[in-house]
Amino acid sequence: PYPEPSVRCEVVGWQKVLYERQPFPDNYVDQRFLEELRKNVSARKYQYWSVVFESGVVIQQLCSVCVFLVIWWYMDEGLLAPQWLFGTGLASSLVGYVLFDLIDGGTGRKKSGRTRWADLKSALVFITFTYGFSPVLKTLTESVSTDTIYAMSVFMLLGHLIFFDYGANAAIVSSTLSLNMAIFASVCLASRLPRSLHAFIMVTFAIQIFALWPMLQKKLKACTPCSYVGVTLLFALSALVGLLTISGVGAILFALLLLSISCLCPYYLIRLQLFKENIHGPWDEAEIKEDLSRFLT
Amino acid sequence: MTKSHLNMAYRRVNGPGQSLTSILSHNNCGIHQPCRTGTHNICMVSDFFYPNMGGVESHIYQLSQCLIERGHKVIIVTHAYGNRKGIRYLTSGLKVYYLPLKVMYNQSTATTLFHSLPLLRYIFVRERVTIIHSHSSFSAMAHDALFHAKTMGLQTVFTDHSLFGFADVSSVLTNKLLTVSLCDTNHIICVSYTSKENTVLRAALNPEIVSVIPNAVDPTDFTPDPFRRDDNVITIVVISRLVYRKGIDLLSGIIPELCQKYPDLNFIVGGEGPKRIILEEVRERYQLHDRVRLLGALEHQDVRDVLVQGHIFLNTSLTEAFCMAIVEAASCGLQVVSTRVGGIPEVLPDNLIILCEPSVKSLCDGLERAISQQKSGTLPDPEKIHNKVKTFYTWRNVAERTEKVYDRVSREVVLPMDKRLNRLISHCGPVTGCTFALLAVLNFLFLIFLRWLTPDSIIDIAVDATGPNGAWTQQYSYSKKGEENKEISESR
Repeated sequence: PYPEPSVRCEVVGWQKVLYERQPFPDNYVDQRFLEELRKNVSARKYQYWSVVFESGVVIQQLCSVCVFLVIWWYMDEGLLAPQWLFGTGLASSLVGYVLFDLIDGGTGRKKSGRTRWADLKSALVFITFTYGFSPVLKTLTESVSTDTIYAMSVFMLLGHLIFFDYGANAAIVSSTLSLNMAIFASVCLASRLPRSLHAFIMVTFAIQIFALWPMLQKKLKACTPCSYVGVTLLFALSALVGLLTISGVGAILFALLLLSISCLCPYYLIRLQLFKENIHGPWDEAEIKEDLSRFLT
Repeated sequence: MTKSHLNMAYRRVNGPGQSLTSILSHNNCGIHQPCRTGTHNICMVSDFFYPNMGGVESHIYQLSQCLIERGHKVIIVTHAYGNRKGIRYLTSGLKVYYLPLKVMYNQSTATTLFHSLPLLRYIFVRERVTIIHSHSSFSAMAHDALFHAKTMGLQTVFTDHSLFGFADVSSVLTNKLLTVSLCDTNHIICVSYTSKENTVLRAALNPEIVSVIPNAVDPTDFTPDPFRRDDNVITIVVISRLVYRKGIDLLSGIIPELCQKYPDLNFIVGGEGPKRIILEEVRERYQLHDRVRLLGALEHQDVRDVLVQGHIFLNTSLTEAFCMAIVEAASCGLQVVSTRVGGIPEVLPDNLIILCEPSVKSLCDGLERAISQQKSGTLPDPEKIHNKVKTFYTWRNVAERTEKVYDRVSREVVLPMDKRLNRLISHCGPVTGCTFALLAVLNFLFLIFLRWLTPDSIIDIAVDATGPNGAWTQQYSYSKKGEENKEISESR
């Protein structure tokens, strides 16, 4: 019994309106309560093998870091001649450069409008400057203790792995920061090598593996997924073999890490989707879906 | 809700003689039922109060005035605003405590959960408060007061004025805190059914203890005046803070779209905010300086004068718990076009509002419908709309319904300490629950310490300004004829 029931006699059902005085108490809960509640509107269904395929990026990056460290170890021990590494690096860079244009038939190059002359110029500038500064790089961290250098390199390489652009749209992703951290780690480690030529070649190698190689990978993945899988497997295998020659335990642990990332984690992700409960309803802030910048251009 | 919505406090306190007269005439009918049995001593707590302006502020002020009118004792507790600190009295003896607490962010105080206990306890004891009514989930002080009130064994009511999503990290955290704060609160009030659903989900509440009591507008402040508008052109009015959540980006698409199509269409935009720049860009880009007027921030008393210059009111909000602006516009006799978000579909009947999806296209379609109706003269007369809308939402009705909540709450028992701890642990999850149970115990020990330091019995009892034995109400009823020009007094 409401004080001023201005409700028409025939109305008995509850209405979700505020302007009408209804013959129900204010805390009345109708059957229609929460009827507009939706769950998991934007949830995605994942396929196991496609998630495994996507995890390839992470595998590749882990292997890059591993290969880099193995090569550094060999150089530090004097088991690998710098000339040899430089030769191999140069050869594979050239192959990669040709492949980079071959894969998509030159459309990417046309789009960016970048000439080969420009590529050559930046490569030359980079090599000259690194070569010129390599004596400085060599002595740069002489006064810093080797332990500090190792610790710093570990943190930098971890940071590189964390901030790397794996294709996720998240605030933490920053490819510039990631690349900078990797180069910083390589400079730190290079300064511990015997001669300045070693340092120069180490930094050049770091650029090849941390800056150029991911670009080629991205293109491979987009254009020829099958060969990408093959390349990833080969790369992972070579990283493992390289690690095996240094430390058997390390290789086993690394293999387990790769396996869990590529096989266990996708399985876990798909299992956890069952527990997803994302609530949507009329209270959500509406999204503006159209592009409004057209009114201002 | 528009920034300019608070109002009365501003005008009534600052405006001399004339405004007080209007209050007196306003309050005259049907007051003071001396034989009322269930009067309560209510303490409203919120960080947001006059001189800050907004929907929450005006809600607290108007509700308090109407509750005083119904014979209850009401005091308000908020934090100090600049020079405004200590105790002040507003119209009809509404006593406001401005406490010296540090403001942290957006006019909300910092919270440690403990530092406000000595002050609040002193006030609650001194004013013999029986019900604590906190407002707004953004106000840290409101939550602190709820926490202390439960420790002291007082009844608690909470009004939620806003909607919140569930998707991002910040809302996950705030929703958890709300769960903790509301799990042992006696009753919760929401301003619309959508808001109720939202709050029930956010705080995992039993829907039976959540009441829906809408906001209200003062219909006498929003009367139509068809002669003020120019009928040779069609004017669309927008009054809102110019921020993203109010959908100003949509507006920046609607203005050029419609202005190109209808040469006799004008826009008036009232309000200020960071998105003003894009409206100015649009105006510049399409050369609409004579057709789009940007008025900037409006005082509440000017809102009506702007509204009556228009034919159509446009609201582009992306989220809204109640939306007073559209009620005010409808009360001024405008045809309302609005996005269908939050609680808006519940606010006005279908024949007074055109609801659209939140996109430029849909809103333009809705506006074009309104324009063609206006041109063909099939829109109802502003006076008729006003007469209809003024019956929908009144503060008296709000107060009456809130009073029922108080009556209900005062019959309930406040959870004793052991049950409260159980409730916290069982209701809020193991980690949060245990943490806050520990804090509740510490708060209780702190209260015992304070009671030992200054026993309740030696705290002075304040003279009631309002309520059944209110000094103000008695004085006022004896001498209301003679003292109409009496200024608002300030005392400590």
